[in-house]
Amino acid sequence: MTLFSFLILLVGGVGTGVLGALLGLGGGVFLIPFLVFAFNLPMHQAIATSIVAVIATSSAAASVNIERQTVNVRLGMLLEIATVLGAILGGLTANYLSNRVLTKIFAFLLLAVSIVMIRRIRGDAKDETVHQGGVLGGSFVEPTTGKTIAYSVKRVPGLLAISVIAGNISGLLGVGGGIFKVPAMHIVGAIPLKAAAATSNFMIGVTAAASAFIYFANGHLNPLVGATTALGVLGGSFLGVGLSRRVKSRSLTWIFAIVLLIMAVQLYIR
Amino acid sequence: MNAERHPVERWTSQSLKAGVLFSGSVMILGLVLYAMHSFSTPLPQHNPTLIELVHRILSGSLDPFTLMYIGLILLMLTPFLRVLTAVVGFAVEKDRTFVFVSLTVFFFLVAELLYSLYR
Repeated sequence: MTLFSFLILLVGGVGTGVLGALLGLGGGVFLIPFLVFAFNLPMHQAIATSIVAVIATSSAAASVNIERQTVNVRLGMLLEIATVLGAILGGLTANYLSNRVLTKIFAFLLLAVSIVMIRRIRGDAKDETVHQGGVLGGSFVEPTTGKTIAYSVKRVPGLLAISVIAGNISGLLGVGGGIFKVPAMHIVGAIPLKAAAATSNFMIGVTAAASAFIYFANGHLNPLVGATTALGVLGGSFLGVGLSRRVKSRSLTWIFAIVLLIMAVQLYIR
Repeated sequence: MNAERHPVERWTSQSLKAGVLFSGSVMILGLVLYAMHSFSTPLPQHNPTLIELVHRILSGSLDPFTLMYIGLILLMLTPFLRVLTAVVGFAVEKDRTFVFVSLTVFFFLVAELLYSLYR
């Protein structure tokens, strides 16, 4: 590796970390296309690198812990059983899929994510229905109003089913799956968006760890690319957490949705 | 398990931060050593196994790539720490159901680790 490609990789990692922290995702959806296009990295190696990056984003954000009051640890752990199971299965099956098939699946994932993002922007103003109680219920203080918001969790079996799928996608494609978990918890589980995002962030690192060692054992983790990217992502996540108060999320979301759409088409044609 | 009221949560946050910083430092060390060899050390042909990495640490043969691997593995272990502190947190609250739930998650993680250990 040359100094130039090292620097590009580091900058790519920082960018992923910033975007991941700003959008509340692991950042894998941005990192994998970057590694595949700019570095011509095989898909399996790109996924392994991304899994490490997801862990970096999640652990860095959790250690800063700005949203720690909003994390529903009980719900997170319960759903994590389903997600980890899905992730392990995904990590195991990925080894039997060809580079071409994985790339195609990833293209479809990007397409789906961009559609979810656009839908999310359009549904932004929706009011949140809140009900109190239940073992899994939680509460947090809404910083903008100072009010305590208590809620209960609905349709837990449905949430568990979606969690298996989200974990599987994560293990198979090396993304955090947060983009699926957050809307699922919010729409299916009737959980306030803030609590859903914080709980998802808590979960994605654990989900990624469930397949990380499988990719490592199968020899897909490139130490140079992995370490450089992870360092960039760690720095970028801390930076992104600081930036998040100043950037309008709505305009960001639009840009990313469009970028993802373009990448989906390019990856599919490839 | 409320963050403001529970020392376990604060401890989780601090140990996570320590884990992230430590793993990052090991990776930086590996990359600096690699850069000192003018970016020319060839990549190893095969990933070492976890057991091989432990042997290398014990024998003190730490080349740039071994350090990068160790840093990456340490980072990959930070979520284990998070689940484990949740187990402790629920045990302190005497919430048996969720001690069981968190232990199940931890069991899956350890099972995956063992699987990759003996591949």
